[in-house]
Order: sequence, then structure tokens, then C-alpha cells
Amino acid sequence: MKSSWLWRLLSWSTFVCLLVMITGFGWALKDTWFPNKGLELPQASTKPEVATGGDWSAKKELYVAALGDSLTKGTGDSTGEGYVTRVIDQLSKQLDKPVYLVNNMAINGQRADQLVNRLDEVGYKNAIGKADIILMTIGGNDLFQIAQNGGSLAEGGDLSPELLSKRLPEAEPRLKAVFDKLRELNPTARIIYVGLYNAFYDLPEMISISQHVAEWNDYAFSLAKADGNATVVPTYDLFEFSLKKYLSSDHFHPNAQGYTRISDRIVQALQ
Amino acid sequence: MANLLALIQNETLKVWKKKRFAVVVLILLILIPIFVYANLKIAQNSADKFHADWRSELQSRITDNTNALSSDRIPEEWKQWRKALVQQLQYYLDHDINPESPNAVTFTRRFMDNAVSLFVPLMVLAIASDLVSSERSSGTIKMLLTRPVRRWRILFAKLAALTLYVSLIMFTTVLLCYLISGLVFGYKGWGEPVFVGFQVQGADVDTSGVHAVTQGVYLLMQAGLIWFSAMVVAIIALMVSVLVRSTAASFVTMMATIIAGTILSNMASSWQSAKYLFNVNLELSSYLRGTPPPIEGMTLGFSLAILGIWAVAALIVSFTVFTKQDILN
Repeated sequence: MKSSWLWRLLSWSTFVCLLVMITGFGWALKDTWFPNKGLELPQASTKPEVATGGDWSAKKELYVAALGDSLTKGTGDSTGEGYVTRVIDQLSKQLDKPVYLVNNMAINGQRADQLVNRLDEVGYKNAIGKADIILMTIGGNDLFQIAQNGGSLAEGGDLSPELLSKRLPEAEPRLKAVFDKLRELNPTARIIYVGLYNAFYDLPEMISISQHVAEWNDYAFSLAKADGNATVVPTYDLFEFSLKKYLSSDHFHPNAQGYTRISDRIVQALQ
Repeated sequence: MANLLALIQNETLKVWKKKRFAVVVLILLILIPIFVYANLKIAQNSADKFHADWRSELQSRITDNTNALSSDRIPEEWKQWRKALVQQLQYYLDHDINPESPNAVTFTRRFMDNAVSLFVPLMVLAIASDLVSSERSSGTIKMLLTRPVRRWRILFAKLAALTLYVSLIMFTTVLLCYLISGLVFGYKGWGEPVFVGFQVQGADVDTSGVHAVTQGVYLLMQAGLIWFSAMVVAIIALMVSVLVRSTAASFVTMMATIIAGTILSNMASSWQSAKYLFNVNLELSSYLRGTPPPIEGMTLGFSLAILGIWAVAALIVSFTVFTKQDILN
């Protein structure tokens, strides 16, 4: 009889399936409410790569890590590339070898003190340790919040150049901490610090901010000098006379053209 | 007892001869390769971007989700969801474990996670939704009920056959998923570690209870949980099938309910009492994974209790109606 043969097969196989499912269900309940110790974690078979340093011309490929604030993220760029992708494309062409982005770890609105904390995270350590070039913008949000006495632009606080000049030294140790930590994580990478610019140059009462921005950039420059393998790429002069043309509609971040100009400078500095 | 077993045999063979299970297998054979291909494309794409460095890919996911948190346009509950996700991914990165090791078991795990809310219920409904109503529309119910057998035994036999088929479907889905995706991703990964035991409270993830299990154990637990929610769907579908005359109507009713559940889970976080509906509680496997539940305050125990109450209520209704109702047409 065909159907009795079919029934035997079906009943046994479905019954086994049922037992498997009930086992799984019971196991899940037990594991949720009375968990075991859990298994020993195996060591990862491959360790994170570490940059070797040395002469770039001897290397087959270069690795870039980017970190910092919204400028490194590329906020305001309608193409979504920001300066990081542009630098990598141009550098790859000019050096005639592949240049790879390890990771762009920039976070919108990040301050230098927050970045210092993040540099303790494993993901940051891995990426920075692997990089030959580190691109970074940081400090803009620090200065901005100081000038507003802690508020943000969205809260409608007014900027105060006096407050900025008085409290600027408070923020400087944060930048130093960032530089120190980066060097600790990667002794050989070239660090490019992209300088700040004054996005409010077109407002007469805000022109004086440029002076404090310059002070900040000077301080960054002194850190870079002390480091020896770092440099500051200035950007303040790119925007002052034509803010409208190179800033995006939020009147704070560069637009696509603005980012292209920044990236041109970085590539020049790297060669 | 022998009598009951014969009834179950009868029901099981009836479903088999209607070729419902064959349809389910056919659907799986067509759909799984499509998902495998899509997954392969994604894997290739990210391999290009991150040079097969899973650590930087993971860090990139963390950064992307952190950045999304600063946007004002994202609703608060999505932010909580992302915050929890970031903490979870960070946990994997801190322990140097790749949460997405590329192999067939990982694919199966991901597939089942996505299948629990719609795909699995759909396959269950293919069998469950006309179990009683088809007897009525074809008129065979009279033959069935005029036999010298108690009515509850007939319905019980149908329920037993349904349980067996739901188990078979679950097992077949996992098996086919593994076999087909293994052709592309390799038949490895049973021993890879996965973290379970994340406790999500709002935006915070409590990692004190987190422990690692092998992916094989994870898959078994996941299948068990999905099986439970599939059984609840099957039992409720059986009730609808008892109550509604036409097969099409019973199928559409159930499908609409299931779809409503997935929509509600996505938007009902402010409607607290929606958590007592069975259809927002079906994603049991998400508790294992540790993703935040659709509505705050839902836990595995809560969802199991809600699903259990619905199932028992559906059984009571089905058996009462089936044993009492007059058969007219």
C-alpha cells in the first residue's frame, strides 16, 4: 500500500522535526532565563593590521584614516564625497598607486574632548594603527560652543567674540590630547590637521572671530611642529572673500566646491 | 487511541495529497537563491570598500549609526533603536568577534530573522488556512462528520497534522537555506561564536548577562522560537478556518492580520496597549538577537505569555464552535 509507506515516512520525519523544534524552543528559554557561563571566546585568527611606516614610494598601497567632525564627514557636500574621498582619488592618481580609506570615523558635531575619549575605542585603535595618513578636522565645535557659552546654533545663542578670546585657552589642551593620543596609537603615520575657517566673516561684528580662529590654527601648528610628522593645512583664506560661493546653504559647512578646494590643498601638502 | 492515530494519518495524508507542502518547498527553492544572490552582491560590494577587513566595516557601521543620532529628523524611538545597536556592535568589536562571518550558517540565521514576521507565517498559512474551510466548500465535511467519530477528535487530528507540518516546514526552511547558501558561502560556521543575552532597556543595553554561544546552538534556539510563533499563527489560522466558510476569505483575513502586525511593530511604539495584540509579538527571535522590541516593556516572557493566551483562546473558540455548529448548505 503506497499511502501507508508514505505515512510511515511522513510521520517519522515530521515527528523528528517536531522534537528538534521543541528542543530548540526549550533551549532558548533555558538560555534566556538560566544562562550558562557561555563558551570561551576564541582568539581571532587574524590580528588587525598595523602600519609599517617607512617611505611611501616603497609601498604598494597606502591607507588613509579620517576622523573628526562634520567637515571630515562631508556635511554640506551635495555629492556626499567630502574632502576625504576627493583627497584619496587625487592622491591615488598622482602617486599612481592604490590609496585606500580604512575608515572615515568622523561624527557630526564632535568636539575634541569627545574625540579623545573615542580614541580609546577598539575600532579607532585598529583603523588609526593601520593608517599611513591620518586626515583630521577637529576643534570647530569646541570654539563654537565656547563662543556661545555652551549653547548650540540650533538653540539660537548669539556668538560672542569676547567670550571666545577669553576662553580659547580652555580648549587648547584638548587638541594637544588628540595629537598625543594619535601619535601613541600610530608612531609613523603622517597627520594632516585641516585648519579652521571663520564661517561668519560676512557679518561685520563677527570678523574679529577670524583672529581667534587664527590663534587656534597657530596653536595647532605649534603642536604639528613639535610632532615632526604632522602638518596643518590652512583653509581660512579659501572662504573669506567668497563665503556664499563655497559654503553650503547652512552657511557653516563648505559645499562641493569648497570641499574640492580643501582637498586640493591637502593633496599638495602630502606630496 | 488507535482511532485517533488513524485520524491523524488521514489528515496528514490529505494535506500531502493536496500538494501544499510541495508548493512550500517550491517557493523556498525559488526564493532562497534570490536572497543568496542579493546577499552575495552586498558582500562583494563591502569587500571592495573595506578590503575584507571586517573590523573597519564594523566600525563604519558604528560611525554611521552614531552620526544618524545627531539628525533632528529621526524619530526618538529610532534613535533608541540605533543607540542600542551601536552598543551591541561595539560589544562585538571590543571582543574582537565578527558578527557577520561569511558562511552558510550566518546567512541562514539572518534569513530566519527576516522571515519570522511575514515569510514563515505565509508558508504556515498555505497549509493551515483551508484545513477546515476547504472541507466545507468541497462538501466533504458532511462525510467526515457523519462517521461515528466524536467531532473534537476530528479537529484534534487536524491540529496534530498541522503541528507536524509546521515543524516540517521550519526544518525544511532552515535546511534548504543552509544547503543552497552553502554553495556560495561555504558550509562552515557552526562553531562561530554569537553573543546572546543583551538586555535592552530603552536606549541602554545591559551587557552584564551577555554570553557567547556557538552559531549552531543559536540557530537551533532561533528555529525553536520561530517555530513557537509559527504554531500560534497556525492555531489562530485554524480558528479562522473554522469560523469562515471560504478558504480565500480565511487566508485573506489571516494575511491581513499578519501584515497589520508588521506595520504596527514599525509605528506603534507610542500606542502602548498594542503590545497585547498577538501579531506584534511574533518576532520572538529578536529577543535572542537583542534588538529592542517594537514597544517598550516587551520581553521574551511577556511575548510568550501573550502568544500563549491568544493560542489557548483560539483553541477554545475552535473546539467549541466546531463541536457545536450546525452544518448547513
